Amino acid sequence: MKAYAMISETFLRKSSFRLVHLGWLLAYPLIFLMPSLPETWQWGGLMFAWSGCLLPIVLSAGIFGDDIASGRIRLLATEPIHLSELYIYRFLGLSLQAAAHLLAVAALILLLHGLTGRGSLDRFASWILASWLIFNTWAALSTSVSVVVSRDHNSMTLVLATIIVFFPLYMLLLFFQDSMVTQVYHAIVRYGCPPVDILAGLGLGKYSLAEGGANVAHSLALTVLYGAAGIVLLKNREFKYAAD
Amino acid sequence: MSEDGREMTPVIECREVTKAYGGGRAGRKASVRALDNISWQVGGGTIVGLVGPNGAGKTTLLSLIAGLLFPTQGTIHVCGHPARSLDARRSLGYVPESPAFLSCYSARAVLKHHAALHGLSREAIAGETERVLSQLRLEEYADRAVGGFSQGMRQRLALAVALLDNPRLLLLDEPSNGLDPIGVIELRRILNEVRQSGATVIISSHRLGELERLTSDYVFLHRGRIVQFGRDERVEQTGHLRVELLPGSPHVREDVLAPCSLVEQSDTRLVIAVNGIEDVPGVVSSLVGAGALVTGVALEMQDIEETFVRLCRERAS
Repeated sequence: MKAYAMISETFLRKSSFRLVHLGWLLAYPLIFLMPSLPETWQWGGLMFAWSGCLLPIVLSAGIFGDDIASGRIRLLATEPIHLSELYIYRFLGLSLQAAAHLLAVAALILLLHGLTGRGSLDRFASWILASWLIFNTWAALSTSVSVVVSRDHNSMTLVLATIIVFFPLYMLLLFFQDSMVTQVYHAIVRYGCPPVDILAGLGLGKYSLAEGGANVAHSLALTVLYGAAGIVLLKNREFKYAAD
Repeated sequence: MSEDGREMTPVIECREVTKAYGGGRAGRKASVRALDNISWQVGGGTIVGLVGPNGAGKTTLLSLIAGLLFPTQGTIHVCGHPARSLDARRSLGYVPESPAFLSCYSARAVLKHHAALHGLSREAIAGETERVLSQLRLEEYADRAVGGFSQGMRQRLALAVALLDNPRLLLLDEPSNGLDPIGVIELRRILNEVRQSGATVIISSHRLGELERLTSDYVFLHRGRIVQFGRDERVEQTGHLRVELLPGSPHVREDVLAPCSLVEQSDTRLVIAVNGIEDVPGVVSSLVGAGALVTGVALEMQDIEETFVRLCRERAS
């Protein structure tokens, strides 16, 4: 019951989340209707970017920050539940929402593709897996940021941080591809940040089975690492009186 | 158990607790000591009032006991368990000054949610929810969204949440905020029920008159230190004896009244500071012996508000 209460809370805490899921799903048929859609269009790639990378930023907005800002955390933190449990159940709430959402997206895409025959469904199962993995990584990172950032500013923080991290990398790769600095920076971003290009490669079928397995393990390890950092932050956090 | 029925194991035990805020990493900013080396024990079955001016450290002390803050120095145990441990949190219920809930949840959903966090079974969750709804007389509002609740209703709901699973210790930070007079009377009724069940209640409140009707012990905090603690003998025993005199009564010298002291004197009235009701016969007898024409006496015991003001003045001086 404890797990159910916390997991369901991640969906019920804002009434707008029902609309978010519906809006995200609605984007797929709208894109199916676009007249200039190329034949090689990858539906899996769209799902990866739209539902895998962007949806967790919206669903995790203020996941701890709202409670910290309102002072509700003071009620939760005095209940007989480990703070690590609180974190894990909230993360699981996001992850399960993602699983249900991605299954709905997959069913919708299969239906629309069956009706219209537009675009490509190559390696669709790999894309579903990659989308769920990248969702989890972003969700864990965003949830951990939410422990230290008040209200729902964790989402904006992540968006800004992504721009700040990826824009210099893009410029370095464009102009100084062979530089040592570029290579080191690229490696840090590739293996330390949410593995967008690695999992996109998994969806595209760039890797062998062993490499794909390693990439899945790497993604899961990053999710655990981000989550562990969030749990440590939560356990060492004081919950002062002032609500903002 | 002790003779008066209170449990011997302290429900709260603070040892040399200091809490400082700020200071910065390199200590460049001056830190503020919200609590300074506090040692304090509370037994079971009492209602203790935390009294002190703004910034005295009342909320900090409650937050430390609730495990929401870490002490800078010292240790805190709740029912024998370190504060913030799971066992300590299982033993306490906490009502913050401004309780917040998910606005889209109904009062019943909030209670079920918190009951679930206690690890209760589905049946126990339903039972506990209905019990506290009934105890707080919230049945009428049980299915309304909390977002539309007034401050007083939120306060009642927070108290209901805190009473889930019958905690041994109830911490209330300004519990009567937003409550109307009937709500305050209800609060008093509920807290007396809680005390009768053997639980300990700690209340921080600015409404001293309200505390006086509820609490059996007081803790006076001033600038992070406990100024006075325990059953306040001075509150119970000190007071003013008002003596009405016939006009033309002779002037009374203060040394006649020793060990009591004269506070005010006019032709028809004397106000004498006494240490308790047992001083009254002696004072009256001394006055009559000195030739005073006494027509009536009235004893006014000092209340908590006067004690609070006196202690604050003493500390300030």
